[in-house]
Amino acid sequence: MSKLTIGFIINGQKKTIETTTSTRLLDLIRDDLHLTGTKEGCGKGECGACTVIMNGELVASCLILATQSDGAVITTIEGIGDNECLDPVQEAFIETGAVQCGFCTPGMILAAKKMLEENPHPDEEEIKRGISGNLCRCTGYQKIIDAIKLAANRLSSKNGGRSEKDD
Amino acid sequence: MTERYVGRNVYKVDAQDKVMGKAKYPDDIYFDNMLYLKIKRATHPHAHLRRIDISKAVKLPGVVKIITADDIPQVKNFGLIIKDQPVLVGIGQKMRYMGDALAIVIAETKEIASKAVRLIEVEVEELEVISDPLRAMEKDAPLIHKDGNILATHYLEKGDIKKGFAEANVIVENEYRTTFLDQVPLQVEAGVGIYDEESGFIKLWVASQWLHDTQADVAQSLGFPKEKIRIIQPVIGGAFGKKEDISVHIHLALAAIATKRPVKLTYTREESMIAQSKRHPFIIRVKTGATKEGYLTAWQAEVIGDTGAYASSGPAVVHKGMYHCTGPYNVDNVKGVAYTVYTNNTYAGAMRGFGTTQMAFAYESQMDILAHKLGIDPAQFRLQNAYNIGSSTPNGQILTHSVGVKETIKKAAEIAGWKGGLR
Ligand code: FES
Ligand code: FES
Repeated sequence: MSKLTIGFIINGQKKTIETTTSTRLLDLIRDDLHLTGTKEGCGKGECGACTVIMNGELVASCLILATQSDGAVITTIEGIGDNECLDPVQEAFIETGAVQCGFCTPGMILAAKKMLEENPHPDEEEIKRGISGNLCRCTGYQKIIDAIKLAANRLSSKNGGRSEKDD
Repeated sequence: MTERYVGRNVYKVDAQDKVMGKAKYPDDIYFDNMLYLKIKRATHPHAHLRRIDISKAVKLPGVVKIITADDIPQVKNFGLIIKDQPVLVGIGQKMRYMGDALAIVIAETKEIASKAVRLIEVEVEELEVISDPLRAMEKDAPLIHKDGNILATHYLEKGDIKKGFAEANVIVENEYRTTFLDQVPLQVEAGVGIYDEESGFIKLWVASQWLHDTQADVAQSLGFPKEKIRIIQPVIGGAFGKKEDISVHIHLALAAIATKRPVKLTYTREESMIAQSKRHPFIIRVKTGATKEGYLTAWQAEVIGDTGAYASSGPAVVHKGMYHCTGPYNVDNVKGVAYTVYTNNTYAGAMRGFGTTQMAFAYESQMDILAHKLGIDPAQFRLQNAYNIGSSTPNGQILTHSVGVKETIKKAAEIAGWKGGLR
């Protein structure tokens, strides 16, 4: 278990950190950087709870060694939206009731964002395929699909953000 | 209040935290100077523990302490209904399933703790492994717990079952079996514990479905007054029944007391599958009678629920399952018996429906088979037997309001495009 120093950009911030050759990217993100929005559901590449975007690709951070991220550009859920201005995908998840226990939500949102970047007008089948690497045990998926449709509509009509407040 | 909320869409209070990745689940809590735990688990599903040797494991650099049953003679068993689950299995005692804990390893990192677990040596004397509840019920089966393998027997009687079968033109008799299911909440069992020496408080950040019950059980097991156990509910991360039972709680408390440092324990998914509760597999033997006009006259059920190595919610789950043996259908004459049986399988407890989903497989199958034999459309057959306001359940409860089963059947048939007929 030898130690070595790696550097990367995460959520727009440059980091240099000492890690080991057996540390997973997931552990580095959670235990060292305390970016706990990235979750561990299985540790086996099955559930997608640990999804992050690395060098433009969706990856399961439980299957990647920390050392593989040397020089990479990484986005975790903490890099999407902020308190003043949520991402349209985040807003759509809230509004459609796509969030229950919320454990799958960060990974789902990253998967949805990536899909909408590549395909701004997905049909239902394409949405299902786009989130097929992410398990949700609570919602039964329908509201997540609804959320992604809503976000796609808003993004394409270029007026992202909540159109109506419901209070 | 009503004007602001009733009839309006309200956003979930914590949804914003969740979509931003800010919500704190049990595994997301960190303290400075925190230690990590891993559990050495049973090496055989049914065996006496003869020897446990931690000497190599404690010497591993970074291991702070290893707790075995010898270190905690004062600690008592725990359990939701019956206190039959040991915190740690000691020398001369029995491991009853692969999830039983033999030692708590406390180390500076997760990796070191895992490595140390593998260095613990165990010698056991193997016993017959009972994985089939029917074997467990046989006279000559070895006893998993000293009071017998049938943990609970419940009976049900309504009307006159003999008369009911005498009135029937068609009788259908079948056996149904369901399997183990894991609830698989996406957040596995996890938590953090702290012991504050000065105040004598144990603080546990662990998700629970039953805070007050968990607090009481942890307290009685450790011999602490209840008010000294504080359980702080983080964001849960799904439960579906699986988080009704004690998991990491007592091990965290013991490690926190022993080290006076914050401690964290997170199961792996595999460990959660092996060690924590499941949905009960049922064997359901059913005999149902109906008239040629398609009205149910008699329903007899025998239910055998495999509760695995420990009771958990078992007696209540299997008992409740039996009460639902007729489903949402009127039957005047009902007789039932339910056995909750110990085996060496992973223990079974609560899961959504609490015994009723298993029964649905049996009663809806019976309804289809009967409809087919009678030559009646199965949707119609269900409708003409379904509960109304005023119906009485097998255990004699009169339904006084909110009985939506007929509407549900009609809606389901409509949405499914059911055209009637036989199938
Ligand atoms: S934790 Fe990585 S895919 Fe499940
Ligand atoms: S909201 Fe609970 S797993 Fe998806």
